[in-house]
Amino acid sequence: MWFLKGEIDEMEGINMVIAVGGNPNSGKTTIFNALTGSKQHTGNWPGVTVEKKEGEFTYKGIRIKVIDLPGTYSLSSYSIDEKIARDYLVKEKPDFVVVVADASNLERNLHLFLQLKELGQDILLVLNMSDIAKSKGIRINRKKLSQILGIPIVETIGNRGKGIDKLKEAITNFVPQGITTPGYFGRKFISLIEKMVDILREDSILYPPYFVAIKILEEDPEFIKIIETSHSKEKLMNLIIGAEKLSNGDTSTFIAEKRFGYIHGVFEECIEKRITVKERIYLSDRIDKVVTNRFIGIPLFFFLLWLTFEAVFKLGNPVAGWISDYFSWTASHISLFLSAHNVSPISISFVKDGIIGGIGSILVFLPNIFILFFIIALFEDTGYMARAAFVMDKIMHSLGLHGKSFIPMVMGFGCNVPAIMATRALESKKDRILTILINPLMSCSARLPIYILFAGIFFAKYQGMVIFSLYFLGILLAVLVARVFKAIFFKGEVAPLVMELPPYHLPVFRNILLISWERTKMFLKRAGTIIFGAVILIWILSSLPIGVDYASPNSIIGHIGRIFAPIFRPAGFGFYQASVALIFGILAKEVVVGTLGTLFGGAAHLGTALQNYFNPASAYAFMVMSLIYIPCIASIAVIKKEAGTKWALFAVSYSLTLGWTMAVIFYQIGRLFL
Amino acid sequence: MPLSLAHPGEYIVTGIGGKRGMFVRLQSMGILIGDTINVIKPPPGPVIIAKGEIRIGIGVGMANRIYVVPKRGNR
Repeated sequence: MWFLKGEIDEMEGINMVIAVGGNPNSGKTTIFNALTGSKQHTGNWPGVTVEKKEGEFTYKGIRIKVIDLPGTYSLSSYSIDEKIARDYLVKEKPDFVVVVADASNLERNLHLFLQLKELGQDILLVLNMSDIAKSKGIRINRKKLSQILGIPIVETIGNRGKGIDKLKEAITNFVPQGITTPGYFGRKFISLIEKMVDILREDSILYPPYFVAIKILEEDPEFIKIIETSHSKEKLMNLIIGAEKLSNGDTSTFIAEKRFGYIHGVFEECIEKRITVKERIYLSDRIDKVVTNRFIGIPLFFFLLWLTFEAVFKLGNPVAGWISDYFSWTASHISLFLSAHNVSPISISFVKDGIIGGIGSILVFLPNIFILFFIIALFEDTGYMARAAFVMDKIMHSLGLHGKSFIPMVMGFGCNVPAIMATRALESKKDRILTILINPLMSCSARLPIYILFAGIFFAKYQGMVIFSLYFLGILLAVLVARVFKAIFFKGEVAPLVMELPPYHLPVFRNILLISWERTKMFLKRAGTIIFGAVILIWILSSLPIGVDYASPNSIIGHIGRIFAPIFRPAGFGFYQASVALIFGILAKEVVVGTLGTLFGGAAHLGTALQNYFNPASAYAFMVMSLIYIPCIASIAVIKKEAGTKWALFAVSYSLTLGWTMAVIFYQIGRLFL
Repeated sequence: MPLSLAHPGEYIVTGIGGKRGMFVRLQSMGILIGDTINVIKPPPGPVIIAKGEIRIGIGVGMANRIYVVPKRGNR
């Protein structure tokens, strides 16, 4: 019989909970998608698979919940992904783990398998990409392998959906193997481990004592702490010293060697590989010779980046135009309809400028954002993204950043929220926090409408150049700020780059569409909640106290704005409307334009009204302020989640200071020339 | 010699320096001391090494800390 996991699952009628784990690039996500189809949801912003994804499927009447674990190489404490995977298995106790392994690369994939076994997990092994393995001349004796490892094995070709039914069958027929102690460490070593286990069992530890003992011997920083709190610390220390002697001084290497030695033995038994004397140089390597060439690599990357932004704007803008036309058409028709039915003008303005205008101003970005996410997903799926990080490593290092910092920075042009989540790919905490802190300076797509509005009115002739200058200013500041923070808070070397470069492959269109749509959907959700709420809030604050003129200086919003306005006098926009727009811009930067529209009496009057209040110098200063002044609410929330409250507060305060200072500088200098 | 001075071709890994985390990471990726690796993209700049079907990109900093000797018969 199946055990029911947790009351909630029971209520939902879930019969079984399984986790899908495996190395990065093993096709784990493809298998997850193939199992769950469209029946999946991401609990949060997805950064490929770093966030917890859940799905479910029903097979022969059994409802099975599937959790997608982050792709990992081991279960150490050196990376967040590995900790997430490990903690999930220990705390949530799924029925068993489906380990997805790249069949053509089994040796390394089995290393994770062994560690999961050491953690006491029941496992079903999936040999994925078995077609590629065959084409490389690798033959796996599946029966024998299954016998030796003592687990069921299923072969699949995930991206073509082959073997998925067999996998579902195997999942529903799964019989727990029970915990077995692996014998590959040798008798003497194992008896040492067992003595440690006896001690550790009496210390209350979350993890299985066997796993803890091995992790202590591997000198894993998180588990070494357990020695200190153990009830018989000295005995434990003696055993550790004993293990050290057995392994000639380096226990951690000894353990790794034993694992790989065992895997090697299994290999000899079950795998036949027609080995060519020299390592084969595949097509992928030939592409890499060009793509990572020291003269071609970087220019090629920048060319692709330029091409990306061309596509985002050239392909996206016409569609954005249609959407905008559609919304203004709807708004005018609805307001005509409402006024024909004697609805009060203020309610009409609420519907027209508030609701329709507010939502419209967000949906306008949908094409641009979707195209950006699509291209980023395309780069990830083909394997180019890893090369981009690789190629940029040297330049990023000289800036005090990591090669992998570059991907989040590029993503920041789309939206800082998924970009900040994507920093999880960085192993070192220092590098991560630094990358997170500077990310809001990468001008996200939500800031673009502010630039378009102001540059269009005050710099009509040079609109493109002015907008580009703001993007450039953002990048320049990011670099400078990174250097300063590096010198103050994150002294020491940047973690070196070590990353797997998956073989290039043709993109799977469906996967890319799924990923980019998932990410776009998150953006839309935000548009539907935060921004909609903001619009209503502005409308209410502008209409109260009762009887006041809409958004006049005497309304609540006017009062709030007037408090802050004097602060911005040195920057050239010391009137309450600008302050109010900036305050509401914290909710989401897109709101700045909408708020100005509402405060200056609707989008139609905005152009003339702005010209009465701003001049080119203060307009530029206002754009600079909008670029820098504060990360939006969603970004602050994600910074808090990823880096902690302290750093979130720091990000807010540094950006406010920097934004105000830069705005004042640009205004004071601009005043002399413009 | 450090990997940062290697040419394309086969080498044996003789030592991995630097922080423990990186050592463990390389280990779990399947690169152990004594293993034969193939340098696909040589220095200067970051290096790509191959072991079997695996391709690993190694930044300049790390390439200085991985020690290798040329495999016999390789130049």
